[in-house]
Amino acid sequence: MKPNREKVAYVFDGSLEGFYTAVFMAFRDKTEPSRFLAANAGQQIPLLEQLRHAPADPALAARVDLGVAKRSGAKNACMLKLAFRSGQEDVLLLIWRYLCRLFDCPDGSFCRNMLDPDVWDVLQAARRVKREVHRFHGFVRFRKTADGFWFALIDPDNDIVDLLIPHFRGRYAARPWVIYDARRNRGIWYDGKKSHDVVLENKAFSLSDGTLPPAAVADDEEHYCRLWQHYYHSVSIAQRPNQRQMKAAMPRRYWKYLPEKQSGHRQ
Amino acid sequence: MKEKVLQKLRVLADAAKYDVSCSSSGSSGGGGSTRSAGICHSFTEDGRCISLLKILFTNHCIYDCTYCVNRRSNDRPRAAFTAKELAGLTGEFYRRNYIEGLFLSSGVMVSPDHTMERLNEVVRILRQQYRFGGYIHMKTIPGADPLLVQEAGLLADRLSVNIEIPTEQQLIRLAPEKNFSSVFRPMDQINREAGISRQERKKHPKAPRFAPAGQSTQLIVGATPETDFTILKLASGLYRQQQLKRVYYSGFMPVNSHDARLPALQKPPLVRENRLYQADWLMRFYHFRFDEILDEKNSQLDLQLDPKLAHALRNPQLFPVDLDKAPYELILRVPGIGVRSARIIMANRRHGHIGLSQLKRMGVALNRARYFICCRELPAAAASLYPEQIKQRLLKKGEGQCRQLALF
Ligand code: SF4
Repeated sequence: MKPNREKVAYVFDGSLEGFYTAVFMAFRDKTEPSRFLAANAGQQIPLLEQLRHAPADPALAARVDLGVAKRSGAKNACMLKLAFRSGQEDVLLLIWRYLCRLFDCPDGSFCRNMLDPDVWDVLQAARRVKREVHRFHGFVRFRKTADGFWFALIDPDNDIVDLLIPHFRGRYAARPWVIYDARRNRGIWYDGKKSHDVVLENKAFSLSDGTLPPAAVADDEEHYCRLWQHYYHSVSIAQRPNQRQMKAAMPRRYWKYLPEKQSGHRQ
Repeated sequence: MKEKVLQKLRVLADAAKYDVSCSSSGSSGGGGSTRSAGICHSFTEDGRCISLLKILFTNHCIYDCTYCVNRRSNDRPRAAFTAKELAGLTGEFYRRNYIEGLFLSSGVMVSPDHTMERLNEVVRILRQQYRFGGYIHMKTIPGADPLLVQEAGLLADRLSVNIEIPTEQQLIRLAPEKNFSSVFRPMDQINREAGISRQERKKHPKAPRFAPAGQSTQLIVGATPETDFTILKLASGLYRQQQLKRVYYSGFMPVNSHDARLPALQKPPLVRENRLYQADWLMRFYHFRFDEILDEKNSQLDLQLDPKLAHALRNPQLFPVDLDKAPYELILRVPGIGVRSARIIMANRRHGHIGLSQLKRMGVALNRARYFICCRELPAAAASLYPEQIKQRLLKKGEGQCRQLALF
């Protein structure tokens, strides 16, 4: 990082486009970003810092993205977009540092040494996002609604809800479903053919355990949920408890929308 | 109706749980191990991954295997699903994304053929009526007609035939109705038919698949006097000759009132089971041969040390390893370095020296690795200790103990 650059905090709309626009502006204006603030994240904006707004501009964002792809390949450009979804607090600055080094290095060789700390940290962030997508292929729980719909509530660490589409589209063929991210308040509605982004206005579901009001669920839903809870508790072998391993594989923060982990249903 | 299914589920899930084939005990996560791409839908209180609905079709059994809860001489509640009930249950669980598929096993009801026909029917209903695309693992019943085994192979993703007891002599002693040929005949058949199907599909991509996910088996450990060397030798042969995908090891747990033919154990030999899984991993992912892990003289795995560490201490001439130059196979043998780290080292060392900070970053267990690598930043003395000294130091710190599951 060059010295004596002006420190600026960039505010953007939370989208990748917005972020890349901010990155573009920072390069153009030769500033040193002190942070990137997603406007919707409700963070405190420090008074002392210079603030600049970066209204998402598709053309500018595309130039950053293309620049990455040209220097380091399309796969790497995808990797950065994956890392951008990370819920990790400092991830945007990590990506910024990565981009600075990449654009300083005409042949892109910098990013091929994955043991360089600036490369490693971004790769790890992307890796954690990918791992969470994989975890949620298992941790999503659908409930059948009275009108024949399938609904699932999730609360992942990273912004991954749309990355779940290919897996569940493949698994359930023409069946319509909604997977909704409770924390980010957005979801995916798959209508049996295509997927759509949705924001639900009236939330009928419970944010504390993901259940729907009794009138809204299908008749047999409760029955299968109970069978599953019984199954879950009956397959554990009491002589060999290993809570430590269970919690490492399925951290407590994921439990609230898993029917088998809800207390009060135990045998 | 609903209550009836609930009752059956209770009895038949409970009876199935001692079969550990879904578990990955001994090889849990982390540590750069190459984990199978399977999806875990939940984890039980004993730390195992729930991926499949693991259940018995029935726990009635006409046989009397000493080590089994379902043997006919036990007085237990018995139940049997109908094929429709079990197919329905599986389908509904799958639609809610509770499970990835079905792991279907059974006691022997009426006769092996009768039972196998029922199992095939469950799977046929699932595949044909429910258009079920999930994963199906089926047990073949020892003694069932080869035609029924063939039908099963065309419906299921994976088949398994459990050997249970590692030598025939002991098997016959504990399970009078079984012998090795009742196990190896179907195993060889499955291997043969899967091979034919693979060949056919090269010519005609639409040719039917036969057990595309291969076959596996289970061995019970500690019920009989076989050594770990015998067990690993058997497993190694199964991987090579029958081309098994997995061998599972299950620490013997007394589930029946005492029988003089079985040892009286207070607890299942969990540490030993874990060591066997680790040794198995060394064979499958770390290029170890079974006779490098153990031999006739050292025929039991060390319970205090993981097998990779034990191997390194027995072979001090291989170390210290120079990470900047050594071949991949040798790097894999360094305790504390896993498959993922070894690959990263290979791919990145041309960019610069692999030092302590790099090793730490990729998660190498330096507390163990430090004694086996040459590295400028480490006190030179570490790599020149005698094996006995290293062992003392590691044991004092509790390294290599069984609490740490993801070793290497
Ligand atoms: S045949 Fe299978 S179910 Fe029957 S007693 Fe033997 S091990 Fe148990």
